[in-house]
Amino acid sequence: MRTVRKNSTWLRLSVAAMALALLAAACASDTGAEDADAALSAAQSARGEASTALADAAAAAAAADAALAAAEAAQAAADLAQATAEGNEAAVAAAEQALAEAQSAAEDARSQAAAAEQEAAQAREAAAAAEAQAAEAAAAPPPEPPPPPPPAAAEPTTSIKLAILSDCEGAFGAFHDRDIAGVVTAFAEHAGATVNDRTAPQAGFSNASINGVAIELVGIGCADDTAEAALRETRRLMEDIGAEIMIGPLSGDESIAVANYAKDHPHQTFVNGTSGAQDSTMAVRAPNFFRFNGDGAQWNAGLGDIAHNVLGWETAAVIGDDYSFAWTSTAGFIAEFCAAGGDVISRVYPPLNTTDYSGFVEQLPGVDEVDGYFWAVGGAGLVPALNAFEDAKGEIVGQQHMGNLFWGIPDVFRAIGPRVEGSYSGGFGNAPDLQTDKAAEFRAIINSHFDEIPFGGAPAPADAAYFDAFFMNYYNNAWGLIEGLKAIGADLSGGHEPLWEAISNVTLDAAFGEISLDSNRTAIQDQYVGRIYIDDAGEMQSSTVAFVPQVDQTFGGTFTGDPPPSRDFPPCEVRDLPWIGNATPVVDGVLQN
Amino acid sequence: MILTRLRGDPGETPGGVGSGDYARNTRKLAAALFVALVLVGVFQAITPGVFRHYFVDVVMTRSLLFGVAAASIVFLSAFGGMISLAQTLMYGVCAFTVGNAVTTGGSKGLNLGWNPWVGVALGIGVTTALGFVMGLIASRSSGLYYLMITLAYGVIGFYFFGQVTVLSGFGGVNQVRAPAFIGEPTDATNPERLFFTVLVVSVVVYLLLRYVSRTPFGLALQGVRDDPVRMNSLGFNVAMHRTWAFTLAAFIASLGGVLYVWEQRAISPTTISLVGILNLLIMAIIGGVLVLEGAWLGAFIYIALENYVRNVVFLNNWIEEARFRTLAGAIVLVLVLACPDGVVGLRKVRGAVTLSLIGAAVWGTVGGLQEGDRGAIAGVIVGAVAGIGAAGLVGWLAGHRDTARGVWSRLLATGRPGQVPARN
Repeated sequence: MRTVRKNSTWLRLSVAAMALALLAAACASDTGAEDADAALSAAQSARGEASTALADAAAAAAAADAALAAAEAAQAAADLAQATAEGNEAAVAAAEQALAEAQSAAEDARSQAAAAEQEAAQAREAAAAAEAQAAEAAAAPPPEPPPPPPPAAAEPTTSIKLAILSDCEGAFGAFHDRDIAGVVTAFAEHAGATVNDRTAPQAGFSNASINGVAIELVGIGCADDTAEAALRETRRLMEDIGAEIMIGPLSGDESIAVANYAKDHPHQTFVNGTSGAQDSTMAVRAPNFFRFNGDGAQWNAGLGDIAHNVLGWETAAVIGDDYSFAWTSTAGFIAEFCAAGGDVISRVYPPLNTTDYSGFVEQLPGVDEVDGYFWAVGGAGLVPALNAFEDAKGEIVGQQHMGNLFWGIPDVFRAIGPRVEGSYSGGFGNAPDLQTDKAAEFRAIINSHFDEIPFGGAPAPADAAYFDAFFMNYYNNAWGLIEGLKAIGADLSGGHEPLWEAISNVTLDAAFGEISLDSNRTAIQDQYVGRIYIDDAGEMQSSTVAFVPQVDQTFGGTFTGDPPPSRDFPPCEVRDLPWIGNATPVVDGVLQN
Repeated sequence: MILTRLRGDPGETPGGVGSGDYARNTRKLAAALFVALVLVGVFQAITPGVFRHYFVDVVMTRSLLFGVAAASIVFLSAFGGMISLAQTLMYGVCAFTVGNAVTTGGSKGLNLGWNPWVGVALGIGVTTALGFVMGLIASRSSGLYYLMITLAYGVIGFYFFGQVTVLSGFGGVNQVRAPAFIGEPTDATNPERLFFTVLVVSVVVYLLLRYVSRTPFGLALQGVRDDPVRMNSLGFNVAMHRTWAFTLAAFIASLGGVLYVWEQRAISPTTISLVGILNLLIMAIIGGVLVLEGAWLGAFIYIALENYVRNVVFLNNWIEEARFRTLAGAIVLVLVLACPDGVVGLRKVRGAVTLSLIGAAVWGTVGGLQEGDRGAIAGVIVGAVAGIGAAGLVGWLAGHRDTARGVWSRLLATGRPGQVPARN
């Protein structure tokens, strides 16, 4: 008995303390209402707004019902037409009845919508009256009246909330700081922002402004190259923190999920980070998702031509990760290699993040059964995959292998060793060894805003980011957004549609060539092919050897988005690609045209 | 030994799960929780802006729907003595089935474009049938082997949906439509409708599982849990009881799958990967695998922390986004050591209720002052867990009834049995 009483005292005390905590939270979050009048008027106008919103919602729902009913009527009409055409009398009768029913339903819904609309109008009037009353009540006694609550849309934009989504975990987690640095550098260079910490990009930027409108970095999302995490983080950034514009995500499946999210949220704007899946723009086609970089297929422009016409491959085998980006990447190689007259005799797709590739390389033809291999195994998987290949098939010879952008990453080809000397690698839309003013300028921009940009959590010189297209793509995407915002004076008061229109028309005079957007809002971009060589010091390097100007996402008319690239699409067919045989050679970083 | 001592509770009566003061208290807790949730939802629906939308629309909704899925784990564990790692697969199978059935194009999968309700019926039917088959296969094993078989199911499911691109592929199925009464995500009222749907389903699932546990089947199942050999000799078909329990759990998990795919509008194999499997298990363990209510409580703690990990004061200077799992792991560790029955079992640890309330109040207050409402929520959760941990530690120290010096000598002597003082 005694214990119970003692316990309940504690309980009461603790509950009181909890209440204190909640109160403190409420105080911390509620800084606006300072005096009673203001609170009263705010409450009144909030009530008015709430009722308006409810009535509006009812009207919208009724309108949606009407639209649905109309759609049903249309469907019934179509059925009727079909049944008539087929001469099936019973079906005709049934369809006629359905049509009549649907039409009357549509009529009902329409009248309901009208009634709801009227109600909404009344509620709006009532809300306006309440607002006026509240303003009056607040204005009468004190000398300084509180500002009346802003009308919904007419207020000019004073600040825009921006979020970044990148991967801090998973196969591309090491690039997290570089991705963010790309965005921060773009805002520092093109929107007057101050970099908060020259050695830590995650500290973000401040004082960015376009046409007097402050651009506020409100959150940095952390995904792990899965659609699940990307979606979760996107929701947190957009719905909890309240960002209006997001730059990201990083990888293929993530961008498909984010583009679908964008489609469902037409009051926000999304600009890609560096993802390169074709579907995100070509299949999903969200009007508010933009991408100022190419996709995996575009990045491989020029490779198939070289494989067939320079290396003389007649047959090739393809191995890539089993997900949207690698399918897109191999699709680019296959389309071009086959267009040039080659034949792809084997396609193998191990799951992403496989650790033991022996079973998969075993499915590839032997070194004497095929002329060459194309590798689109990414991230941490490529080196183990090549080791498994050597165990199963024998020595790797540079002339018999090529790969997509991962093949051209110095850390990767140095780990594989000198035996891949002379092999070609697909591009990433960049060519760091290009000897042009714009490339040099881009390099200087990076170094002028950052001293260090960590890589994989460890300190690294900022200059290293120049060689990394993850940085460049985040930079270009942020830059494209900034140019779009500049074009509309950063005024989002009339909704985001004007911004979308503006971004669609942006053309970037970027470091490695002009970037503009196609009708699906993805980049039309110059592409470069790299080749691995050993320099005089015995160090393995990659140099740019070919240039293909202005490749678009249809890949010379090869892709339409339906069907999207997959394990067996595209088929191997001879077709006409404008750049076959026409790629511009690049020697020592200079275009030879 | 330490743990057995900590678990001593004068209020606990013999008879296992589902009886005695302990059960009555947790039941009261659950009832209070549900009432509170209903109030929060109603409040938000009629007075927008009082609660942060995101808290109700995302955190609470997700907590409840993962709670439904976790409840299937807890049901199997509490009443059948089976720890199943296949429940994530079950909600995934249902979500993929719904996704394939209702999408209309522009997505991976079959894009059958059927009515959402047909999709739901198909999803639940397929999952329940699959649950029966899988339950039948696993029914003759128990303990670690049961764990391994169900883990194998989960991993097979992940690769199945990843590799079979006709149904999904690793990119997953997107643009999954919910029925008309939930509406499109562009509707302003959509999140609230979803919240109430999930809440209603949660209550129904909870009541259903409680009801089942009192039917002859449920009682026999508990008998199977406690002594399968004796039940067998009494004429009960042990394997079939386990099979039907697994089938029922698959049905419950499939409800979670339907809600998940309505909420997320997408499903990809990464959702049901090993990480997803572990996440659901962690939710069940945090809440407590012996009492049904624990499923929802554990899911709430997990989801809330996942969302507010950046707002945990005192820790947020060194815990960044990527370290969420470190924190979740620490919480599991604290609970496993101090309160093995999970958060709902905290009454079994002397002083844990008081200390966790104090911890929650202090941490929540500081969090609220520094980080606003997000900090308060995160603080209350972390503070409560810290309180439970502290109670466990205090209990362990006090259990020795030593002077401070004695406690220290004992601490130092830990691991050297020969030097442990005789007085205990």
